[in-house]
Amino acid sequence: MSNLVLTIRESIRYRGRSGHWSWVAHRISGLAILLFLTIHVWDTANAHFAPNVYQWSVDVFKWPPVAIGEIPLMAAVLYHAFNGIRISILDYKPELWKHQKKSTQITWGLFLIIFVPIGIYMAYEMVHYWQELGDAWMKFPRLSDY
Amino acid sequence: MTTTSPDITGITRRKVQVQNNFERRAFLFMRVSGIALLFLAVGHMMIQHVLNSSTNLSIIFVAEQWNSWGWKVYDMLLLGFAYLHGMNGFRNVLEDYIHNRSAIKIINIFLAVFAVITIIWAGYAIAAFNPEAAIQAVGG
Repeated sequence: MSNLVLTIRESIRYRGRSGHWSWVAHRISGLAILLFLTIHVWDTANAHFAPNVYQWSVDVFKWPPVAIGEIPLMAAVLYHAFNGIRISILDYKPELWKHQKKSTQITWGLFLIIFVPIGIYMAYEMVHYWQELGDAWMKFPRLSDY
Repeated sequence: MTTTSPDITGITRRKVQVQNNFERRAFLFMRVSGIALLFLAVGHMMIQHVLNSSTNLSIIFVAEQWNSWGWKVYDMLLLGFAYLHGMNGFRNVLEDYIHNRSAIKIINIFLAVFAVITIIWAGYAIAAFNPEAAIQAVGG
């Protein structure tokens, strides 16, 4: 446990600047995606194995506290993808290493330009859907109803 | 080729004999699957979350998509690449922090078995999915 605390503390204290923050973001986004992916894959398999359980879990994913997570998920996938391209290019072309800092800035810039409008659009769609539900918008779906 | 610049001490190119072992193949897999996922995973997010909205996701929607082998193959490729990429990434993260060799060996075996079971289970579900049967099962 102290190992974990040490890991987290040193990840914040280490002064590797922009490249270090990209590394931290790549790791966290990757782990977050894997966590969601595991749930998503087992859950989606239920569409075949237990369609009524699938119907219920889809509604759990639409329950506001869970649904809101769709936006950071989109951010994680986009950042991980763009930073992955950056890492691959730099590994392939060491002569570009002198542009390390610039490369991280371009990656964050590209990520923000693409993610921000998408994130706003997703939030808008979500709020619109909750408004249509009216008073029942926060009601947690019960498996026995499916 | 060497490049000199004021902010870096210069790059020396060396020839290194790279062993063709598991780690090298895992590294190459991360690169290849990464490029594939750039289209498969980012495409999946755009199709399902932007062009379609997950607010109208239901078994009916799934039945419409998995009515064609095109989408079934897309999702199976996505499943295989994404899950192995993610699990190998997770293994790399864990190996950075867990230095006990026998512990990491047990964890790696567990991760590998879990990944294979997950892919077979979900891959089978996609292949065997029958739109009519699924809609009937929920009384639609």
